[in-house]
Amino acid sequence: MAGLVNKVYQNIFRRTSSFVLAAVAGAFMFERGFDMVSDGIFDNMNQGKLWKHIKQRYGQSLEEEE
Amino acid sequence: MLSYIGRSSHLAPGLKGSVQVVSNGVKGVIPGVKVGDKLEASVPPEPLTLTSYSLAKKCPTGPLAARVGLTVSSQIRYAHTDLQVPDFGFYRRDDVKDSRKKSEESAASRRAFTYMLVGGGTVGSMYGAKTVVTQFISSMSASADVLAMAKIEINLDEIPEGKSVTFKWRGKPLFVRHRTDSEIETENAVDLASLRDPEKDLDRVVNPKYLVLIGVCTHLGCVPLADAGDYCPCHGSHYDGSGRIRKGPAPLNLEVPEYSFPQDGLLVVG
Repeated sequence: MAGLVNKVYQNIFRRTSSFVLAAVAGAFMFERGFDMVSDGIFDNMNQGKLWKHIKQRYGQSLEEEE
Repeated sequence: MLSYIGRSSHLAPGLKGSVQVVSNGVKGVIPGVKVGDKLEASVPPEPLTLTSYSLAKKCPTGPLAARVGLTVSSQIRYAHTDLQVPDFGFYRRDDVKDSRKKSEESAASRRAFTYMLVGGGTVGSMYGAKTVVTQFISSMSASADVLAMAKIEINLDEIPEGKSVTFKWRGKPLFVRHRTDSEIETENAVDLASLRDPEKDLDRVVNPKYLVLIGVCTHLGCVPLADAGDYCPCHGSHYDGSGRIRKGPAPLNLEVPEYSFPQDGLLVVG
C-alpha cells in the first residue's frame, strides 16, 4: 500500500504537468460515472413514469395483440 | 505563571529613556518560588553606604543580565519548570505521531494524500465548470421545435409535370416545379453572356426535372408568383425557368436551398 502510494506520488503528483493531466483524465471518468449514477437514481425514483418505461404499452405491442 | 520581582539599580534614574540596565549578581534577586499558596521571594535589604565596602556593594558588578531600550533587543529569560509543553499529537498525522521515527520516510505518502484531496477537488470543479459551460452553450443552439421544422419532406408524385407547388419551409415560401422536357432544353440553351447573374442551369438543380427555389425576390424580399414564370409583382422582376433574373431591378438569381432525393419520388429540403 505504502509502496503504491509512493509510486503514485513520484509518477503523477510530483510534476504539475502530470498532475493536471491526471486531473483532466480523472474528470472525464468522473463525469461518466457521476452521470450514470445520477441518471440511474433518477430513473429509479421515477420508475413507471418515464416514456421508456411505458413505451411497450403503445404502438408495437398493440399491433401484436391485434 | 511568571513571577518577576526586580529592582532597578541606583543608576537607573540616570539611564531612563535610553537604556535600562539590570545589573547581575549584586543584589542577588532570588527568583520567586511558590510555597503553598503564598508567593515567597526575598530581596536582600539595601546596605547603608557608610564605608567603601558597602559603597562597592551598591555598584553593579559582573556582566549585564538584561537590557531594555529602543535600539537593543529586549529579551529576558527565566528558568521555568512549571510550564507544560503542549501535546499536538491530536493534530498530527498518524505517520508522524511517533517522535522517534524519521518524518522523511513517510513524506511521500503524506504529500500524496494532500495532493489526492487537491486533485479530487480539481476533478469535481472541472466537472461543475464543464456542466455550466455546456448549459450556456446549448442555450445558444436551436431549440427542438426549430430543429423539427428544419426539414421538409415532399412527395413528388403530387406535382404534375409543368406545374409548380408552393410549400412553407423555415418561414419562407418554397417553390418546387416539375419541369417539362422543353423547359429543360430551353434553359440549357440560354447564352450565359446574356445573363445578369451568370449561372448554368445544371449548377442550379440536382435533378433537372425538378426545380427547387426559395420564393423570395432578391430585390426587396417580395414573393414572386410561382406559376406565372416567377414574376415579382412588387417591382416587376422577371425570373426564368431556372429561377435566374432576366428582367427588372433584382440583382441576383433566386436562391436554391440544400436538398436531396433520398429515394424515388421523395424530396427532402434542409
